[in-house]
Amino acid sequence: MPPSSKPEHAAISAISEPAVVRWLLIAAAVLFLGIFLLFPLGVVFGTALQKGFAFYFHTFRDPDTISAIRLTLIAAGIAVPLNLIFGVSAAWLIGKFQFVGKGLLITLIDLPFSVSPVVSGLIYVLLFGLQGVLGPWFIDHDIRIVFAVPGIVLATIFVTFPFIARELLPMMQAQGNDEEEAALTLGASGWQTFRKVTLPNVKWALLYGVILCNARAMGEFGAVSVVSGHIRGLTDTMPLHVEILYNDYQFVAAFAVASLLALLALATLAIKSIVEWKSGRRLKDEPLYGRGAQA
Amino acid sequence: MSIKVRDITKKFGRFTALEQVSLDINDGQLVALLGPSGCGKTTLLRIIAGLEFPDCGSIQFDGRDITDQTARERQVGFVFQHYALFRHLTVFENVAFGLRVRPRAARSNDSEIRAKVKELLALIQLENQAQRYPSQLSGGQRQRVALARALAVQPKVLLLDEPFGALDAKVRLELRRWLRRLHDEVHITSVFVTHDQEEALEVADRVAVMNRGQIEQVGSPDEVYDSPATPFVFDFLGSVNIFHGRVESAGVEAGTVKLSGPGHEHAFSRTQIATYVRPHELEIKRERNGDSSSVPATVVQVHKVGPLVRVELRGEDTKDIIRAEISRAVFQELALQPGDRVFVKALTERRFESDSPR
Amino acid sequence: MTFTLKQKSILPGFGLTLGFTVFYLSVIVLIPLAALFLKTSELSWHQFWHLVASPRALASYRLTFGASLIAALINLVCGVLVAWVVVRYKFPARGFFDSIVDLPFALPTAVAGISLTTLYAPNGWLGAPLMRLGVRAAYTPIGVTIALTFIGLPFVVRTVQPVLEDLDKELEEAAASLGAGRWRTFTRVLLPTILPAAITGFAMAFGRGVGEYGSVIFIAGNMPMHTEITSLLIVTKLQEFDYAGATAIAVAMLIVSFIFLLTINLLQVWSGRPRKASPADDEMIPRIDLRPAFGTQEAK
Repeated sequence: MPPSSKPEHAAISAISEPAVVRWLLIAAAVLFLGIFLLFPLGVVFGTALQKGFAFYFHTFRDPDTISAIRLTLIAAGIAVPLNLIFGVSAAWLIGKFQFVGKGLLITLIDLPFSVSPVVSGLIYVLLFGLQGVLGPWFIDHDIRIVFAVPGIVLATIFVTFPFIARELLPMMQAQGNDEEEAALTLGASGWQTFRKVTLPNVKWALLYGVILCNARAMGEFGAVSVVSGHIRGLTDTMPLHVEILYNDYQFVAAFAVASLLALLALATLAIKSIVEWKSGRRLKDEPLYGRGAQA
Repeated sequence: MSIKVRDITKKFGRFTALEQVSLDINDGQLVALLGPSGCGKTTLLRIIAGLEFPDCGSIQFDGRDITDQTARERQVGFVFQHYALFRHLTVFENVAFGLRVRPRAARSNDSEIRAKVKELLALIQLENQAQRYPSQLSGGQRQRVALARALAVQPKVLLLDEPFGALDAKVRLELRRWLRRLHDEVHITSVFVTHDQEEALEVADRVAVMNRGQIEQVGSPDEVYDSPATPFVFDFLGSVNIFHGRVESAGVEAGTVKLSGPGHEHAFSRTQIATYVRPHELEIKRERNGDSSSVPATVVQVHKVGPLVRVELRGEDTKDIIRAEISRAVFQELALQPGDRVFVKALTERRFESDSPR
Repeated sequence: MTFTLKQKSILPGFGLTLGFTVFYLSVIVLIPLAALFLKTSELSWHQFWHLVASPRALASYRLTFGASLIAALINLVCGVLVAWVVVRYKFPARGFFDSIVDLPFALPTAVAGISLTTLYAPNGWLGAPLMRLGVRAAYTPIGVTIALTFIGLPFVVRTVQPVLEDLDKELEEAAASLGAGRWRTFTRVLLPTILPAAITGFAMAFGRGVGEYGSVIFIAGNMPMHTEITSLLIVTKLQEFDYAGATAIAVAMLIVSFIFLLTINLLQVWSGRPRKASPADDEMIPRIDLRPAFGTQEAK
């Protein structure tokens, strides 16, 4: 929720601080954010462009880099749509129905959030690896999962698993079932109700969930690192490629690839702000409908 | 279309919302389900609509059992308490929704839909707001859109859940008269839920008073007001003075002085009973004039409320507070002051056996 | 069977969505996680303890938990400050700073890792001045703490912010009218109100720090016994094909994470901003008259 949609507190003198205190606090906060957020960001772009634009763009002509970008797009291209379908399904299930075990289901959906990235990768190695539970069967059938693309995709799905569901669920719960029930009494079918009533109401949360999910899918490092096997040009995603270049002392190239990921992060934040502004404004226009929707 | 509700029971977990409820609604009637919050009235309405399913019992429309039909199949118009307008659609598209989602075979073409929606918007006097979004309308306008949207599909039954609950007092009053007029024009069997007895008595043809998951009384507004079947109905339909006592022979012994009105010669013998008297049915006099049914009391407080004056008295024998409502003219004639000793007489009263004497 | 366990609803799709949700959850999350515990069960309790409590593992826990704790504490203080400033004050680029707080969520950890390392390296923009002060940041526990502070930065800000925004200003006005000074109002009225949210954010930042990998391994130096975090130890064991060792430590970490998840959920209940009470609670009582015109706002 953007701060602009909230009542301003600033004007009330009885409950505000002297100007000096105010500006000191602002300075401290800005300094903290500057050192911890802006400096690292500055380093990424500063180092990436250290040797000029020509060198910067040269990095992206390297076949290994191109293949890393391609693999990242593939992994996100599979993980995001699957998690989208899952997210919509889970949010509908949990948001619209009452059933036993709902609380447990919500906890289980949140589970990947609390599993550290390395462990997220490890579980697939233990399942599909050479000494894994299912590994030998897959290897007998000549299907490689770990240290290959499927493992990377699976790990990516795992770490981004809850994102879309988690964005949609509060919206669906907050909006209640009234509009859906109205649509059904008016003769709409289940699918019509979902498409014409539910979906338009959650579209901003959906968009934001997809963006977040995508950012994490493209940027995941720990989990993917464990299952990847680091085969250059084959199982390297962009973040893994950043690591390889950095460890090879190709700092400028490493930061050039990193800058792409940083741009993706900045774009994600920008879209988030736009979504909040859009949905926030809509909410502000609808005081009676302000049932706590939050992007 | 007539509606028959038979022995409906509905539980939510351990909470019993409805218990063995039966109700008959005749074709073309406007019926109010009246009761305090939590009495099950909305649950009953939602069960009639097919939005909720009963644990047991049945619902019939025109003698046909439709208990297992979905809301979609029942073809009812439902107006939600908070309107449930589709916030992403304009007023026009909200009203058109039901027509647009019909199966292709049954769907009218676009110009027919437009004509129909225009007609309905004229009915609710919102032709000029057709392209607005629900968020841009006032509460009363939203309510009318919700009504038009429900009527668009030509439902056989119109069900309204607290239709005026979320509106301010003045709009409420206008809109409920408008609903009454609309019903007189359209003549569709309608049921509405309300917790406001005035609303129910003014608008409805028949009122079903509900309490704790059961129907206490069904009748015309006059019937339920003038001859309440149960203490609850009496209490719920207006403020009331309750006098507890035992029946000796004809009069009630409240304290030591009998409080009795004319025409009630029930012979409860020595049962605990409570006498119910509405504040406006109490007469206040300066002198007893030999009327043994009058009770001596002291004026405690006087509140002037518009044309009425509410007088709070304390019975001399029982020390109970008695509330009376008299007109301003009578008040001026009596010139009551706190501390005055007066005599109070019930003009009409009703007695119910009471389980718990004070 | 599900239908007896479920309130009958007129909305369609229960069976379909339940089936798909449970299937997908099982394939992606539950079965792989089960594999982890299955693998651990091959170890005897003694073996397990030996692996989990080896000196190298213990050193890694000390670093991981210690650095996470310090980082979370820094974020607790600075996060409340940032949330306060962003909600209460108007200043240039406030919107920008508000948005940029989420950067650590969005920036891939590897990018954060190499950038923080470059920044705090002895010849880096911030590392060089620190060296002159005699502080070596990169490749020491200090570097680990810096990386974990970066990673955990948004949590406290984002949990405290909505509470501050929703705060009834009459509360402060009441305190002021009763003669409380600004500082007293802050410590006696505001702080107790935002504390539960702040602690929740603190716990989330701590939990995130404990599991963090990408942003730390570059700046840590990764010396066993000294600057090796637990996540890295798992990866190292895996690369040495010591599956048993990796698994045992992973299980230990996972259990700690679950305890954390539980704690955070309890904290959220305590802070009064839980997940929206399940609509089941509304359904228990007939819906009429009970729903306020304005619903509760959901904290995120």
